[in-house]
Amino acid sequence: MNQAEAILMGLRIWGSIGAVVAAIFLTIGMDRIDEDAREAYIFRPLLIPGVLVIWPLVLWRWYLYEGGRDQWARRYDPPRRAHFAVGWLLPIGICLIILAGLSQRQTWPADLAPVQLSAPAEVSQ
Amino acid sequence: MSEKDSFFVGYLPAPKALRGLLLAVCVLFVSGLAGFGLALGVAQDDPGDGAFRFDYGRQTVTGVVELTPYPLLRVTEGNEQIPAGHTLMLAGGGKTNVEDRAIPLEGQLAQVSGVMLQRGALDMLQLRGGTNGIQAAEGAAPEMETIPLGRWKLAGEICDGKCLAGAMRPGRGLAHKACANLCLLGKVPPVFVSTQPVDGSEYLLVTGPDGGHLPEIAYHYVAQYVSLEGEVERRGDLLVLRMDPDTLEVLP
Repeated sequence: MNQAEAILMGLRIWGSIGAVVAAIFLTIGMDRIDEDAREAYIFRPLLIPGVLVIWPLVLWRWYLYEGGRDQWARRYDPPRRAHFAVGWLLPIGICLIILAGLSQRQTWPADLAPVQLSAPAEVSQ
Repeated sequence: MSEKDSFFVGYLPAPKALRGLLLAVCVLFVSGLAGFGLALGVAQDDPGDGAFRFDYGRQTVTGVVELTPYPLLRVTEGNEQIPAGHTLMLAGGGKTNVEDRAIPLEGQLAQVSGVMLQRGALDMLQLRGGTNGIQAAEGAAPEMETIPLGRWKLAGEICDGKCLAGAMRPGRGLAHKACANLCLLGKVPPVFVSTQPVDGSEYLLVTGPDGGHLPEIAYHYVAQYVSLEGEVERRGDLLVLRMDPDTLEVLP
């Protein structure tokens, strides 16, 4: 299995698990944790693509709601605390990626001349 | 509210205390982005002058069809742009080949018609659809000579010949690798760009070691600067490289 096949396999596994989570959460879980969503179905297919991508977060949030441990007022504290660091890390990271890419570029081997290793065997028609 | 507590609101005039800062941020932001964009652009390789030559108009020439297995036309009756004696690589529209149409005509005299792609000494003909693109021509096909040039070790880059000749800009390099591999999967003729000319030509049509299509392992090396070995032969003014995939090496 080469790198591309491994990446594709990983995406398939991730998406397959996400599809199972989406099927269960959107048919059973949502009614259990959000009373405003009960008997409302049209919007649910719109959530499928999102659930396929962030299904671990969906499961975690579902787990917290089920246990009654969700503290909605503090839900956004972690991302708020990380804003300053992420705000610096993101541009620095982008610059480092570009610099790494430029520094790793190959140089056209203009000085490598063709070398004849053996003479031709015969002339064909 | 003191000057120190000035607060910017988009739909109100900017507070005096913030005007200098806002102006500096605007100038730095715009000039910084422009400079960054310029630096990235300057760092890119020159895409070259390859292009579809629609200005030549539709080209129609006659010659002998050869399969390497990629279809070639050894031109016997040319025109102003494609002289007799020239060897023309053939491709279909988009990322397709013309093998289905060329195989029945192998070794025979045929008339081909299409639009030319040209990049310096490298060219290719994108054929029209069906028999408008290639059809048998009257007359006996003359014998065409293939001259073996021996085994060579070369350095350079494996590209898809169509994009390299001008279908894409850039038509080579890492930024073009995915496109090149899709073209090669479509059996568009692959071309090796040598660092220096081999027997007068820096472009060589690449085939597998047994005269088959480009081996699958070579796809991983497309668009990188590599060295390889293989048997080189001359068909008219075109060189064909039968690459040995076991000798492929990525250069530093």
